[in-house]
Amino acid sequence: MHTKPARTGPSVTEDPVAHLWRGTVALRIVTFLFALGNAVVHHGEYERPWIAWAAIGAMAAWSVFTVQAYSRRGGRRPWVVVADLVVACGLMSLSQLIMTDTQFLYNVPLITTIWACVPAVAAGALGGQVAGALAGLAVGLSTYLNRRELSVDLVRDVVLLAGAGLVVGMASTTARRSAVRLAQALRAEAATAERERLARSIHDGVLQVLARVRKRGSELGGEAAELAELAGEQEVALRSLVAAAPAESTMDGEADLRPALQLLATSRVQVSTPATQVMLPTATAAELTAVVREALSNVDKHAAGARAWVLLEDLGEEVVLSVRDDGPGIPEGRLASAEAEGRMGVAQSIRGRVEALRGTLELQTGPGEGTEWEVRVYR
Amino acid sequence: MSVSVMVVDDHPLWRDGVARDLAERGFQVVATAGDAASAVRIARAVRPDVVLMDLNLGGPSGVEATTMITGSLTATRVLVLSASGEHDDVLEAVKAGASGYLVKSASAEELVEAVNRTAAGDAVFTAGLAGLVLGEYRRMAATPDEDKPQLTDRETEVLRLVAKGLTARQIATRLVISHRTVENHVQSTLRKLQLHNRVELARYAIEHGLDVEPEGT
Repeated sequence: MHTKPARTGPSVTEDPVAHLWRGTVALRIVTFLFALGNAVVHHGEYERPWIAWAAIGAMAAWSVFTVQAYSRRGGRRPWVVVADLVVACGLMSLSQLIMTDTQFLYNVPLITTIWACVPAVAAGALGGQVAGALAGLAVGLSTYLNRRELSVDLVRDVVLLAGAGLVVGMASTTARRSAVRLAQALRAEAATAERERLARSIHDGVLQVLARVRKRGSELGGEAAELAELAGEQEVALRSLVAAAPAESTMDGEADLRPALQLLATSRVQVSTPATQVMLPTATAAELTAVVREALSNVDKHAAGARAWVLLEDLGEEVVLSVRDDGPGIPEGRLASAEAEGRMGVAQSIRGRVEALRGTLELQTGPGEGTEWEVRVYR
Repeated sequence: MSVSVMVVDDHPLWRDGVARDLAERGFQVVATAGDAASAVRIARAVRPDVVLMDLNLGGPSGVEATTMITGSLTATRVLVLSASGEHDDVLEAVKAGASGYLVKSASAEELVEAVNRTAAGDAVFTAGLAGLVLGEYRRMAATPDEDKPQLTDRETEVLRLVAKGLTARQIATRLVISHRTVENHVQSTLRKLQLHNRVELARYAIEHGLDVEPEGT
């Protein structure tokens, strides 16, 4: 009755850099029109105009093919971009046959003009900054081979080509990275929502029935009481499972200590914590949880049937964890003698863990007084 | 005269079971309710001694119902009976005026004792609630608020012992004080928290230009 459908995120098939490809396609069309205009202006002076028009025709055909390829996700493939680079450089070299020496001297644009810069941009969009810059340099090198002399104009073109590939590549890498982060965040959110939905339905259904079975069964006594006890154990286990949020660690490697401790609650173990998060380095939180688990298993071993209480306190500068049981307590000298005999007792193990965390450990016990461990860890 | 009790829980199976348990043990179950709105309405009509309040009601929560009931019925006490793990809600309900908290996994005997103590005006402090209240005072201690309530050393000591599962008698023995003094310390920690909460609400209402509607008792 409190259920709501999990929210659906954006379609996962969307290419995170689709916008860069749309830009690439637009660039291809605009640069082709520029190259066409350039050929119209200069065709009267070309040495072999028919090759010039053949080259323009080839560019038109290749433009149509790449516009189609780059418009679909399936067409944005490395081989298409490499072919694009080869075709652009190949058509560019036709300038040797098309243009006169005078035209080369007066720096008339090569037949491909700025149309040849598209592979650099496409490589950046597909493969990131390195691929983009390298493709830009390749086009620049091809330009140099055709012009056969180093000039300020040439260097400027090379810098612009490599720069364009680099910048588009960086944008592409960033876009991909944030798409991954967004997907992670959406997954985490969906998981939380689903968890809450499950928790609500468990709370409304199973838990109520288990609680009722436990209550009624224990009143009826006999075999019903045994069943009631089983139901009660499952009830507590399920409650703590539902109550404990998944142990999420933050970006800076910290985790809330409370959920891990709450999972240790049973029908005989009460876990008390603040209502607000108690953030500690993930490793510290794990060690403290292990300390509590050990102390509790010690209660099980030496004081079967005893109840235990775990208290977590956050004092700002330090975190205090207490584990107390109402069992018979540890007789005076028992711990010391066990340690003297070199047996790896629970005290030694707990003390070792606490010392490794640079914390302090206090043990209060005595016959008939139960046992109380108090661990302090400084932030 | 027997104690009159109202049971608020959105799950009929649980609600009727608890009502029957209490009736069998001599309590007068005067009403039940399955949601927050009818809980408030019915409580104002029948004025029970004790309201057993579940917090997870779907729609407006038990916390809101607790605020309304304790705000308008001075003689009615609210005992929260809720699933463990609803930490924030339990703390809010207690700040809103609930005088105790018992987990649903508590035994029938514990429930009976808790209802009796609530009716007598005592606070029902489980270890879990003590941990939450300690945490809340420490959270407030770290804030710059100048009017924030503070625990005395003795109150802190008593709360810590409650949170470690000691009974009031055990605490009295350990601290060499009377059983009554232990109860007073525990109640005082709750009262300060509730008073602060009311002041905060009033301040919020004034700052935001809300009219504080006087509610009929």
